[in-house]
Amino acid sequence: MIRHQVIGWAAALGGSLWLATAHAETSRDADPQALMAAQTCAGCHGTEGYIEGSAYVPLAGMSRERFINAMESFADGSRPSTLMGPLARAFTDEEIAAMADYFSSLPKERPEETNAQGGDDS
Amino acid sequence: MNISRRNFLKLTGASAVGAGVAGTPLARAASKSKVVVIGGGTGGATTAKYLKIYAPEIDVTIVEPKSEYRRPYGSSEVITGQATMEDITISYDDLKSRYGVKFVQDVATDVDYDNKQVTTAGGTTLSYDRLVVSPGVSFDFDAIEGLTPELAESRIPHGWDATDQLLELKRQLHEVPENGTVIVGPPPNPYRCPPGPYERAGLIAQWLLDRGDKSPKVVILDPKNGFTTDYSMLHAWNDLYRFNIPEPARSKYSEDELAQLKTWDEPGPIEWVMGDLGGRILSVDAETMTVEAEAGTYKADMINIIPPLKAAKFAFDQDLVDESGWCPVDQKTFESTRHADVHVLGDSCIAGAMPKSGYAANSQAKVLAIQLRALLAGNPPVEPVFQNTCYALAGNTENGMFVADVFRLEDGRITRVDEQRYLPFEATKLQKKLAAVYQHNWMQAFTDDCFS
Repeated sequence: MIRHQVIGWAAALGGSLWLATAHAETSRDADPQALMAAQTCAGCHGTEGYIEGSAYVPLAGMSRERFINAMESFADGSRPSTLMGPLARAFTDEEIAAMADYFSSLPKERPEETNAQGGDDS
Repeated sequence: MNISRRNFLKLTGASAVGAGVAGTPLARAASKSKVVVIGGGTGGATTAKYLKIYAPEIDVTIVEPKSEYRRPYGSSEVITGQATMEDITISYDDLKSRYGVKFVQDVATDVDYDNKQVTTAGGTTLSYDRLVVSPGVSFDFDAIEGLTPELAESRIPHGWDATDQLLELKRQLHEVPENGTVIVGPPPNPYRCPPGPYERAGLIAQWLLDRGDKSPKVVILDPKNGFTTDYSMLHAWNDLYRFNIPEPARSKYSEDELAQLKTWDEPGPIEWVMGDLGGRILSVDAETMTVEAEAGTYKADMINIIPPLKAAKFAFDQDLVDESGWCPVDQKTFESTRHADVHVLGDSCIAGAMPKSGYAANSQAKVLAIQLRALLAGNPPVEPVFQNTCYALAGNTENGMFVADVFRLEDGRITRVDEQRYLPFEATKLQKKLAAVYQHNWMQAFTDDCFS
């Protein structure tokens, strides 16, 4: 199982990765490896985990503990699901921790975008 | 499923760099970088949007002739009336105003790889540091005798590209006489939206039954012996439509599962003529509305053949395609193996075990945005992880199913790493209903993630 084979990664990655992501607050400041893990959620749970009025649970601003508990209970089957069980089992513990750090570092409310630089110039 | 030592080293190397410079403006080294994206579909739009989220200082321009996007996912429901063309039409306004993606509404006609410039039909020239090409698919009409692009616009539409052909298919469905016959012809692998043709067949069967037909026929003439979600779809049809699972397909189930599947003396509307039973279509005659397959001649009131697919014409014209008809790319960065600084993603590229789906293109686009930010800042790419989910309906819109996969690089190839990928055989009615609920919520959530 990937989850167990990769467990050695944590030691190799060291604590600095998690320190780096814990204070991200925006995606542009997040660690690339955390972004990589967390982007897999967005196709259903919304960009950066922001979603409203949907059957899918918003992830932005979710506490680290709640995120990890959810993924662990999906993975071991104690929390019933349609597809989250198999998906949770396919991610490593380190990826789940990185996702949890990333989403918990984001504000619950989606900030107004300040990225618009130019727009339609055609 | 071993993570190779090489990938392990790459991962830790990339992370060390990321951690080392965290807190410093990592992405700002890429300031003034120009990325041009050819194609405003799911892959192109998602790449542009996520680049602006991850690195807003990068200048991102999409070249796309259409003023709005029509999504192919969920578009079979236009044929059977659960959705309208408006429902599947998506505006580019948010990409422009919220994220600052620039648009050139024009056809890209040429790429000068030496001088790193894109030219459009209208005469615009765009310089790039990195080019992203997400051109989608084209259809190989020559593969089936009698089939032509003109017929696809009239008597035998494929409706596989979210164009007005869907409305023509809808019109034709309404004209099918009572207890008439519809032929659905799925393409050979690889093709866009693997569960799609079968979902469409189910939706059409359900529509004919809902109309009051007692014994309509939906015949699936298939060159293949299986398809993504077949395990769930055939089981659902067996329950819902008195569908008999063809003998060669029974090996998809365990002994215990087979004992629970039913055998119907008077089978219902759907017949699946799989490859081993002669389902491969050889020719079609629009005048007589007959299809010649290896198993024999089939006459129908409506014929919906999806021709074999290949990469879009633009990819062929710009020398991005190999002998397979698709675009070979580095599996970590999606950089073309044929031309440097050009990244090809979505349906047109070769991405190992990943399917040709909107979700796959969206997942590749986010990986690509992370890699482009790194590459433009002079950093190594990050070890990728991909996800794909395809939802489908059995026909009855309360009966949903899915395939859900996670992919990683293993020995340089994008490989599926999950074990269970479908709902289990013993899934409850509620789980199937929930899958249908999630499918409908997914359409909005997913298109928002790509375009809003």
